[in-house]
Amino acid sequence: MVRILNFFCVALMGFSILALYHVSEKTRVAHVQLNQVTATIAKERGAIGVLETEWQHVASPERVQQLAQSKLGMADSASAQLSSFEDLPRRGADPAPLNNTPLHNASAQIPATPESGM
Amino acid sequence: MNEVPTVFQRRIIIGAVLSIAAFALVGIRLVHVTLLKSLDGVRAAEQVVARADLTDRNGELLARDLPVKDLYARPKVFWDKQEAARGLAEATGASETRLLNGFNNAKNPYVLVARQITPDTEAKVMHLGLPGLEFETGGKRYYPDGRNAAQVIGVTDPDNNGVSGLELGLQDEIRAAAGGKVATSIDTRVQYILAHEVNAAREMFRAKAGAGLVMDVNNGEVLGMVSIPNFDPNTRRLSPGDSTRNAIAQDIYELGSVFKIFSFALGFEDRTIRLDESFPIGQGYKIGKHTIHEAERMPATLLGRDILAQSSNIGTAQIALRSGGVRQREFLTHLGLLRPVQSELPETARPLYPSNWGTIETATVGFGHGISVSPLSFATATATVVNGGRRISPTFIKQSASDLRGEQVIKPQTSQAMRDLLRYVVTDGTGGKADVPGYDVGGKTGSAQVPGPNGRYIPHALRTSFVAVFPAHNPRYIVFVTLDQPHGTKETFGFALAGYTAAPMAGRIIQRVAPLLGVPNNAPPTKLASGYP
Repeated sequence: MVRILNFFCVALMGFSILALYHVSEKTRVAHVQLNQVTATIAKERGAIGVLETEWQHVASPERVQQLAQSKLGMADSASAQLSSFEDLPRRGADPAPLNNTPLHNASAQIPATPESGM
Repeated sequence: MNEVPTVFQRRIIIGAVLSIAAFALVGIRLVHVTLLKSLDGVRAAEQVVARADLTDRNGELLARDLPVKDLYARPKVFWDKQEAARGLAEATGASETRLLNGFNNAKNPYVLVARQITPDTEAKVMHLGLPGLEFETGGKRYYPDGRNAAQVIGVTDPDNNGVSGLELGLQDEIRAAAGGKVATSIDTRVQYILAHEVNAAREMFRAKAGAGLVMDVNNGEVLGMVSIPNFDPNTRRLSPGDSTRNAIAQDIYELGSVFKIFSFALGFEDRTIRLDESFPIGQGYKIGKHTIHEAERMPATLLGRDILAQSSNIGTAQIALRSGGVRQREFLTHLGLLRPVQSELPETARPLYPSNWGTIETATVGFGHGISVSPLSFATATATVVNGGRRISPTFIKQSASDLRGEQVIKPQTSQAMRDLLRYVVTDGTGGKADVPGYDVGGKTGSAQVPGPNGRYIPHALRTSFVAVFPAHNPRYIVFVTLDQPHGTKETFGFALAGYTAAPMAGRIIQRVAPLLGVPNNAPPTKLASGYP
């Protein structure tokens, strides 16, 4: 009886060791995977950071203005050419500036272009 | 022959097996820990971000740590040190002579080849196929806007410590938020426009230097601050003609006629002037052995409002003398002009003012000579004058509150009168070229003589400035621009005065930044305050 009990205890201990090792190994593997994922995230974050910085550089106001002027022929608009949405006539409303009412803020003079013959 | 082991022998065998198993386990574990564990996978990512990003008020990037590597070499393992030095010098830009000297110096097991190399350079180095190279991961501060905001943002040293500008001034916040963001009050768009226009004006008028500032008059937020010449913060090297000085915060100047704003504000405050009062101007105004002259020809008499509009030194001197030196000094102290301005920028300047504040000093300080302050200090005091009369402090941190006005320094009525008067300077005075239809610009010109190295004024050398507020009837922003020793052009009929050089620059800046800042261009024209005081 004592021998059976001893054998059972030794077997239980062996099984426990195996189970513990299994759990330990699973933990180790999970830890390795976590490190891999963390490293990948950090690498991707680094790459995103570099891309964001590059984007900031290529979309900087200085570069956009150069491109807008050289490629699209755009120029700064005079303040008289700007208005807000609140000032736009509602659909169906009388477009006031067309019925001989003086234009609001039309105090800026648009310089004559060579094509206009002036 | 086939003897059955005794109980003792069996126990010894079992004990021996258990001992061997235990030692085997220890051995396996040792092999695992020492040899295999480092190959268990990728090491945890190294932390390379030591400082938080600096962003503008809209979240646009101003400064960021980018991953870079420091490259070290172990010259002992090179089979041809000269070839290795040549290859590494070509790949990294390092000095070949320095590398070769380092490789031949037996005392150094490791030689630093290059710091903060980019991924491109790293790829070139790897392509050399040299043994004995080691990379140490780190971070390099990168500034996407380059020169435009160089002085205000500042730079870091190779060890990522801030050494100037907001990089130094906000050091604690930047380190505390490592991996995050610190939002500044700067607006990248305003900063660019300011830099572009100051640069253009500097080139057009062949000025030695130029500078500009855009600030919110109600909460002190600085939206743009430019000083030219500037430098490239990404190279950490100064090219010929570059400067790291922040002329707006770090330098002090005699600002000239823009200072007359404070004489008029004091006159209104003390009720010593009326705008419709006639002042004798003449050819000169004698105070003791000194005679005050005008910069330009003036009529024999001027009304109070036209003294500011036409920028008369003699008229302003009379107004300043009515309040007296003690009161003038007290007033300027209340406006914060006689002490260094405090902000997050570490660069600041101590103002220079007369130690003996007598009659002639009162008169000259009245029109901006004999007192030197930084443009940032001047703009802050002007903002206080026009924002309803309440003190503000300049700040470079994005504020959640739009109104951070503090203690009442001057009466609201005085502030109202000054706003009207500044508008009058633009509609009927020397600031006409700063007008932008719809934005109700008010402002004041200033053309000050420039002192030379011997303390005497340089003949015909001017420092021209313009301070603008818009919309004048309810100010939101202040713009200050200055040019150091501009020259007249054919278009300005040879004149280099502020009305021809600084005022149009301020007008162009307002025309470009006002729509971006959401200032409506439908401001009603402001009339000069009637009957006040």
